[in-house]
Amino acid sequence: MLTYRPGATVLHRLDPRGKLLVQFGLAIAVVAHPTVPWLAGATLLGLVALAAARLSPLTVLRAYWVVFAVLAVAPFLAGVAPGPPWFRVDPALRSLRLVARVVPVLFVSAAYLHTTSVRETRAAVQRLVPGKAGQLLGVGMALVVRLFPLVLADVREVRDAIRARGGQQRPAWERARLLVVRSLERTLARSDRLGVALRARCFAWNPTLPPLAIERRDYPVLALGVALALSPLV
Amino acid sequence: MIALEDVTFRYDDTRVLDGLSLSIPDGEFCLLVGPNGSGKTTLVRHLNALLTPDSGTVTVDGAEVTERPVVARTTVGMVFQHPRDQFVAATVGADVAFGPENLGLDREEIDCRVDEALSAVGLADRVDDRLDSLSGGEQARAAIAGALAMDPDYLVLDEPLAGLDWPARESVLDHLSGLHDEGTGLLVVTHDLRDLHERAERVVGLDGGQVVLDEPPETALDEVQALGVRDPRC
Amino acid sequence: MSQQYGSVELVGDETVRYFTMAVLLAALTAALSQISIPLPGSLPPFSLQPFGMFFAGLLLGPLWGGLALALYLLVGIAGVPVFSNGNAGLGYVLVGQGTGGFLVGFLVGAVVAGAIVHRGTTPRDLRTVSVPVQVAGLVAALAVVYAIGVPWLSAVTGLPLPRAATVMAPFVPFDLLKLGIAVAIVEGGYLAVR
Repeated sequence: MLTYRPGATVLHRLDPRGKLLVQFGLAIAVVAHPTVPWLAGATLLGLVALAAARLSPLTVLRAYWVVFAVLAVAPFLAGVAPGPPWFRVDPALRSLRLVARVVPVLFVSAAYLHTTSVRETRAAVQRLVPGKAGQLLGVGMALVVRLFPLVLADVREVRDAIRARGGQQRPAWERARLLVVRSLERTLARSDRLGVALRARCFAWNPTLPPLAIERRDYPVLALGVALALSPLV
Repeated sequence: MIALEDVTFRYDDTRVLDGLSLSIPDGEFCLLVGPNGSGKTTLVRHLNALLTPDSGTVTVDGAEVTERPVVARTTVGMVFQHPRDQFVAATVGADVAFGPENLGLDREEIDCRVDEALSAVGLADRVDDRLDSLSGGEQARAAIAGALAMDPDYLVLDEPLAGLDWPARESVLDHLSGLHDEGTGLLVVTHDLRDLHERAERVVGLDGGQVVLDEPPETALDEVQALGVRDPRC
Repeated sequence: MSQQYGSVELVGDETVRYFTMAVLLAALTAALSQISIPLPGSLPPFSLQPFGMFFAGLLLGPLWGGLALALYLLVGIAGVPVFSNGNAGLGYVLVGQGTGGFLVGFLVGAVVAGAIVHRGTTPRDLRTVSVPVQVAGLVAALAVVYAIGVPWLSAVTGLPLPRAATVMAPFVPFDLLKLGIAVAIVEGGYLAVR
């Protein structure tokens, strides 16, 4: 699994806003230009990003192998024809070219995940989205990160409890209903307790934001992101 | 001084607090006991305006709490029963910083408060650790640090020792005693007086939403059995 | 006496309540995305992921329900493994295995369901909303999910649109069954206390 690893590479030190912009820009660019030269350029950019993050492309391929395996089926599906000649090469090649776009986007995304903590992404969101919406999204992200493991443990506990009492004999839809009701019940109870805790600690609209600053080294990254995002207009 | 005067609070049709009056002087170490459903948690949630009374007044240092909730919540710090449910961030330092951030303090002051609060509970070297990696006793202490970072004059703790093993219990109690020695007023809601009664100065008993016992620990112990609490000397 | 902190602008109590519910429903959506119930034979496993969108729309309305799903997506983009099979990252949402459109569809679907069920940004008491309206809201949400998800799948994989639709069609009856379960849970009286 690809996760954040603290480090001192160039990518670690870049502002998360620039890195997010490049990801969006690259995705837009390869969707707009699914041609061989663009794909080659994008893949090269992906490899450069991985190198800068000190992350091996093989690690990324392994981490996303399910994704790639599922995608590899698409060209075959696209080529299959209901009558003779049964398999047509042109649609299959077209599909292959489209699927190949996924590779650079996932490379750049993996480089981001590896070099950016959730805290930084949260700070970026809080600054990119103005006002109260940004505050709720920023604090909300931090809270979801905190609560996801607890809620997942709740759901697994409920599932095990249903199993332990012979739930297997019940039809699947009924098991789903039991599992979802109990999980929802626990989730809402947690929501009440969290609300009280937030209020006790003066949850406010105008807090001190986590530190984040655009520096000189971020400008080329921002420029690259903007250029990629605008490339469909060229 | 915290003062409740003739406070009544209804939940649905039940009077949870029924014309309750109580005052707690600065710096006092007070225990609040009573059977389940006697209104303990409801009472403490009035002290910093988490609940609003249906009638009667709650004042802290002469100011009515519902009119100035920010002042009330920074003067009376609240620590809830389940530490895991009141954490708002994934790491110790980020969680303790949440309160001061909401107060809009500058980054330097926030870092200073986080450091002080964590030192007071013996967790200064755990600032970057994940909260889930802490033991139960350490989590309880981290929750106390979260409240301390608001720089309160009083600390209200709802069942802070529930579910802790013996050493963890001792360590939480020692840190609480230390805070009391430095002048912080403590109000501890508990079902279990072991190791607490020697340290406290006063025991208040609640039943049916009213104060039914208000004595120094030495004499209160003879009467606590009627309130669902075991005499710790037996 | 503490300082005055006159500039602190507290978030209102009602807002805190809807906000924490949105946060917890985002976490629940993430948790349910990791769990599926195996079905007999060669049927695909019964994924619980759509329940997040259903409850967000039903319980929280368009604004707060939308926030719940937006938080789910953002946390995944930030790198927490909250998508199915523990996937994460912006790349996964945008292209992934072509199913990113369904993730975005859940967000839009929650907003649509919330708007139909609550007819305004403030959630109203579900006891005042008739069952047909609740069902209509969730059916519209599912329609939105497929309307975004299938063309997206087609765009990413290069499968012609009809073929992409054929690939996804077997999931429709299961999603309708989940819809029925969600409404049954809400109508079953369990949420009446809230």
